[in-house]
Amino acid sequence: MTNDPDHILIDQLLAGDREVYAVLVNKYKSYAFTIAQKILQNRPEAEEAAQDAFIKAFHHLASFNRESKFSTWLYRIVFNTAISYRRKNRQQFQSIETTIIEYDQDADGMLEKIDKKKYLNQAMLKLSEADRGALTLFYLEEFSLEEIAEITGMQANTAKVRIHRARLRLADELKNILNHEALTL
Amino acid sequence: MKKISQELDTELLLYLDGQLKDTAREKIVLALQQDEALRQRLTQLEAMESSVKNNFLEIPSKNFTHLVMQKLDQYPAQPSSFNMLNGIWLLIGVLLMSAIATVLVSSGVFDQATGTLDLNTVKLPSLNLKRTLPSIPIDGKLIINITILLNLGLCWLVFDRAILKPLFRRRLQIGR
Repeated sequence: MTNDPDHILIDQLLAGDREVYAVLVNKYKSYAFTIAQKILQNRPEAEEAAQDAFIKAFHHLASFNRESKFSTWLYRIVFNTAISYRRKNRQQFQSIETTIIEYDQDADGMLEKIDKKKYLNQAMLKLSEADRGALTLFYLEEFSLEEIAEITGMQANTAKVRIHRARLRLADELKNILNHEALTL
Repeated sequence: MKKISQELDTELLLYLDGQLKDTAREKIVLALQQDEALRQRLTQLEAMESSVKNNFLEIPSKNFTHLVMQKLDQYPAQPSSFNMLNGIWLLIGVLLMSAIATVLVSSGVFDQATGTLDLNTVKLPSLNLKRTLPSIPIDGKLIINITILLNLGLCWLVFDRAILKPLFRRRLQIGR
């Protein structure tokens, strides 16, 4: 008998109590959305991709073998869904300046945060989608290297090297963007 | 600014993560004391880490869970690789071919393209047929007309998938 709270919820779901799924969605929606958003860099698309991933997960719950955590299994679906959305819409460009950002902070703090987020998103856009995905999972600080490798479908060593290089590249890109911003002020 | 080697970059990241062993850490601390460029690179990496960690988590819309629960029975369609640009090229190609075929038909090129396919003249060695097979009349003009009609149907399908649907989807997203 398992003590994992997610597994207990899944048992209830499989027994027919589908309303329980809202608990799992609430629990994992922020991370799932963050993964989709970092890969897609487009808020409406990321919402749609994350929602699709939750629906796919619901339909395949019976095939979840419980060898890994539910979150790892779910984020793998989110990762793959976001990547396929990205491929589908590769030619459809949307500037990140037009992306709607919702926050509850006060106005000044919000502007500062939007600026930082904007630069971060610009720098992230310079990375490949796989790098963005791996980096997102790394900075969410929820996963071990093995779990990141499992979610992204890479070897653990490859994931480690990829994350390492992506972090250095992100620092360089952020530096370039901030230098450029300083010059254009 | 002096270029930092990849090995030193790696060491700096490990230092930031607190993953360096004692001797390696002492070595990098010493190098940091002596090298201004290295200190600047460490500052950059620290700034990046702080910026990423403080701005990383994205918050979905408030009705996210409600929307998922609402759509739970609709299994999402697999996104196809059919995009607008490819669709437009395909549409142009099919329309062009249909136009050429229509011009050729109306100028009477296929008027004489008629004949019959006599199945009795076809050699079928393995079959021992006693009855005579029917002859099939072939009308080239009719075949081309049917092809044009099918192409026009295909045009409408491509127009719908490649232009109309993405256009309305985008309008819906803007309107949300």
